[in-house]
Amino acid sequence: MLGYIGRRILATIPVMAVVGLFVFSLLYFAPGDPAAIIAGDQASPEDIIRIRATLGLDRPFLVRFGEWSWHILHGDLGTSIFTNLPVTTMIGQRVQPTVSLMLVTLVFAIAVAVPLGVVAAWKAGSLIDRLVMGLAVTGFSVPVFVVGYILAYVFALQLGWLPVQGYTPIEQGLWPWLSHLILPAVTLGLVYIALIARVTRATMLDVLSQDYVRTARAKGLAQGPVLFVHALKNAAVPIVTVIGIGIALLIGGAVVTETVFAIPGLGRLTVDAILRRDYPIIQGIVLLFSFVYVLVNLAIDLFYTLLDPRIRY
Amino acid sequence: MTATVAPFPDRVPQAGAPPGGLPKAPPPPGLAVAAPLPDVIPVRKHRGKVWTYVRRNPTIVVGGVMLLIVFLMALLAPWLGTVDPTALAPAKRTRMPSAQYWFGTDMLGRDVYSRVVYGARVSLLVGFAVAFLASVAGLAVGLVSGMVRWLDGVVMRVVDGMMSIPPILLAIALMALTRGSVQNVIIAITIAEIPRVARLVRGVVLSLREQPYVEAAVTTGTRMPAIIWRHILPNTLAPMTVQATYICASAMITEAILSFIGAGVPPSTPSWGNIMAEGRALWQVKFYIILFPAIFLSMTVLAVNLVGDGLRDALDPRMAKDV
Amino acid sequence: MDRRTFLKGSAALGLAAPQVAMPALAQGAKVLRFVPQANLANFDPIWGTQYVVRNAGTLVWDMLYGVDDQLKPQRQMVESEEVSGDKLTWTFRLRPGLMWHDGEPVLSKDVVASLTRWMARDPIGLMIRGVQDELSATDDRTFRWRLKKPFPKLLYALGKTNAPMALIMPERIAKTDPFTQITEYVGSGPMKFVRNEWVPGARAVFETFAGYKPREEPNSWLAGGKRILVDRVEWVIMPDAATASAALQNGEVDWWENPISDLVPLLRKNSNLNVDIADPLGNVGSFRMNHLHPPFDNPKIRQAVLTAMSQEDYMRAIVGDDDSLWKTLPGFFTPGTALYSEAGGGNVGKGDIKLGQKLLKEAGYKGEPVTCVVAQDQPITKAQGDITADLLKQMGFNVDFVATDWGTTGTRRASKAPPSQGGWNMFHTWHAGADCINPAGYPAVRANGDKAWFGWPNIPPVEAAITEWFDAADPTSEKAAIDKVNAAACEGVVYVPTGFFLGYQAWRKNVSGIVKGPIPFTWGVSKA
Repeated sequence: MLGYIGRRILATIPVMAVVGLFVFSLLYFAPGDPAAIIAGDQASPEDIIRIRATLGLDRPFLVRFGEWSWHILHGDLGTSIFTNLPVTTMIGQRVQPTVSLMLVTLVFAIAVAVPLGVVAAWKAGSLIDRLVMGLAVTGFSVPVFVVGYILAYVFALQLGWLPVQGYTPIEQGLWPWLSHLILPAVTLGLVYIALIARVTRATMLDVLSQDYVRTARAKGLAQGPVLFVHALKNAAVPIVTVIGIGIALLIGGAVVTETVFAIPGLGRLTVDAILRRDYPIIQGIVLLFSFVYVLVNLAIDLFYTLLDPRIRY
Repeated sequence: MTATVAPFPDRVPQAGAPPGGLPKAPPPPGLAVAAPLPDVIPVRKHRGKVWTYVRRNPTIVVGGVMLLIVFLMALLAPWLGTVDPTALAPAKRTRMPSAQYWFGTDMLGRDVYSRVVYGARVSLLVGFAVAFLASVAGLAVGLVSGMVRWLDGVVMRVVDGMMSIPPILLAIALMALTRGSVQNVIIAITIAEIPRVARLVRGVVLSLREQPYVEAAVTTGTRMPAIIWRHILPNTLAPMTVQATYICASAMITEAILSFIGAGVPPSTPSWGNIMAEGRALWQVKFYIILFPAIFLSMTVLAVNLVGDGLRDALDPRMAKDV
Repeated sequence: MDRRTFLKGSAALGLAAPQVAMPALAQGAKVLRFVPQANLANFDPIWGTQYVVRNAGTLVWDMLYGVDDQLKPQRQMVESEEVSGDKLTWTFRLRPGLMWHDGEPVLSKDVVASLTRWMARDPIGLMIRGVQDELSATDDRTFRWRLKKPFPKLLYALGKTNAPMALIMPERIAKTDPFTQITEYVGSGPMKFVRNEWVPGARAVFETFAGYKPREEPNSWLAGGKRILVDRVEWVIMPDAATASAALQNGEVDWWENPISDLVPLLRKNSNLNVDIADPLGNVGSFRMNHLHPPFDNPKIRQAVLTAMSQEDYMRAIVGDDDSLWKTLPGFFTPGTALYSEAGGGNVGKGDIKLGQKLLKEAGYKGEPVTCVVAQDQPITKAQGDITADLLKQMGFNVDFVATDWGTTGTRRASKAPPSQGGWNMFHTWHAGADCINPAGYPAVRANGDKAWFGWPNIPPVEAAITEWFDAADPTSEKAAIDKVNAAACEGVVYVPTGFFLGYQAWRKNVSGIVKGPIPFTWGVSKA
């Protein structure tokens, strides 16, 4: 098993290398001349040529890729074209709101989705089941920004229960922090809930039809314990897997949610960077998110080997 | 439950392809992320039952009818009481919905109803073009990877890499390279979706290779194209069709998101995403500008998802019993 | 291992939240939360000419002179100045007690370095540099400027509101190459820039500088005592107008620089808010044609566009349904100011498409594609771009509409290459009315070919008339010169003015002291 873990960790290296190559090509093939942008409003062509040379923009692809990778490995993601600040600094400033949003969403979504899926499976074919599944397919179909605006309109503007926008760091108190995250988390969580609820229901149905659960039922164990203790434990692998895969959904959704709710996180940084074509920032964010995604799924993979000794590699 | 042993010793369990696949979990529909289908789809002979299932399955009918309506709307747009969706009338801006302007007018006095009706064309075009292109390209990549063993490692590393970039982020990054247009949006979303199809196809190919009749064909010296044509393609079609439906839904949402954040289709071509983007600043006072395209987009994506669910149930009866 | 441990573990692995430096705020500190018009993406007010950078710059850096609300330059850092009889030698003395935010005294060598850097980037600065003989510090508080030719608008240039403003920085910062951004933000202005709380795209923070000594005179715009009445000013950058509006209504911010007019009725309904015009000098909308390449190298085709366009369409697209916010502008100078002129403007923005089509035919348009670059991220350029695209289509132009962002537009407009090779035919922008009161500091109206602003119009009569204005000694001859500038600019179509419009500002009622002006002046603003 140790060998497997080692191989599994090593296998992420080529993956990140591919991501790195893609991300670097992004800047290399980007239209527009960073030198012209850096020179500003009223620079002359000579100024631009001078800046291009200082930046080393005139060297071949592989040389620049090598140098760029070297810098990345040393934690240097370059400098933002528009703010002249290191990309790592700019990303660092934005990490906390995004991580907070994702954690709150994660907790909320799992807390809602798993029971929903279990109940739907338990009462398969009933009205509740239909309702949950209908909700799930709707969750996949309504765009996240529409949900966001409707929630903000009702709960923030009309009822005034929660703040409309912004983010308060957790250092300033748990409630101020949480209150700013409730609406965005519900917005962002909807698709995720739909996803997890469906998978939970399906795996639960599968587990419930297996012999040992039937035995437990026959032995007269009450419905609740049977479901939760036996079945859910055995359904854990696919559910946890889909939670890991769904992180990609959260990342994509965060871009939109943070824009709607004016949360100064990485998602909004992405949108700002896109509109300004600030390629070093886009590179940094894509690298970071991909790295996190790979890491989370790596963790989940490794977790299986501990969770279920029957899995052998 | 017993997690199946990873069938391919060389396979790196990766995002989107967990160890042991996602056994018996139905693929979630219409994610902005394409549905993670199991790597290995058990091959079954069931084509004769398809129509029975379609008839028995109401979701596919409801979804199909809804989709048909949207299709007709897109096709017949000029004859549905619309005006030029790009014609400006700044003197008649932000009018509420009325007998003259069914869905009101936007900030530049354009008729929202006409824009929504014409916008159906963009959503459908993007959805179906991406579904088709990503399927074809993914099929090619998946076949190469599954059939040509020495290439498999390299191709799969690239696919793994691409799949570890969240699809919306990948599409956004690609759009940054180019200017907004329907064509570029289609290309960007297609690239983001290809790896998932490729993985699916490769999974099918690898499981088929171990089937006795395919092994027999290989050992008797049947040429590769013939094997692909006779054995591989027919069996790939069913899971790919289901996958393509979900890609279609996902592409529609991604297009709307790209246009909404200003990195997609420019407003000179009305799309549901950019109509909403245009109305975004006024959502507190003129909610209808966002509301109508939102309803149409949601309904259309829902329709595609329903069709997808229906197809999945029809084509894979084993899953059908769960849903 | 159970699920809970797993979740904790994965959080520790991939999602560990790093520490964000947060301010230790004294209890009861007065914080003014302000929503600026745009993101403070960079902070070098000499290098960058965006209004938002300039506005932040006025808080951190002080100026030698500053214009008052009559646009007359008044002494600010300068205690006294002296000019020789031949008007060629100026001697300035700084007022005592000026101090940088790091506690060092302001010296005249700092001023010399700052003016040198500023002159390299400012259009009037370049003109001054052209006639400059020597600029030198004579002692710690005195510096001398010797010219080869009198420059009557010198003090105006030092105190003007147009970006780049002549802001004074410490010598070590001012030594930075004018085409490279500065990286240290130390000034001698009334507020300190809190660098470690700066999150571009989200917020920028300023703290009152205890060492600042305001002048005794009452404040008027950039002149007089700049007294800061709060402890901290936080700029909160909002991604869109809707969010900003909601935040202001909920009291999450105090002051919003530029609410869009469609939301104003909503803001007016809220009894906690005040809404008023932001700047009486307003703005001039503009689209510029590239005079170097077909079809707009042909003055007749430019005329056709100028005649066919409807300023009313542009103005409604920009400001909405409120007719009190805009007027047509048959010229290039700000209405309501001394030099405003309508001379020769009879053909501007008549909205006569038919006539335009006829003129276009007569001019011999051969169907060359028109590359129209439109920044979608700025509501004003976006609205104008949509109208222009429609106009050109109706006139029969072959339009290539390039939807992009302001940053890219800024880069692309600097290219003199043909449109097919990365150049352009047309882009949109707007100018603050305060920048359009006279040709000094109004590079957009210049028509000196290669040296002119983007589009590079080369119209000698315009330049001749501008020279006449620079040399004019009295108001009457100034006015006569401007009439000539206006007429020649309309004739040759330096650019197409799309109209004159006003913008709103809105603030919570517990905030007082907000004045109307070309810059949101933070001094004198207090919060209950």
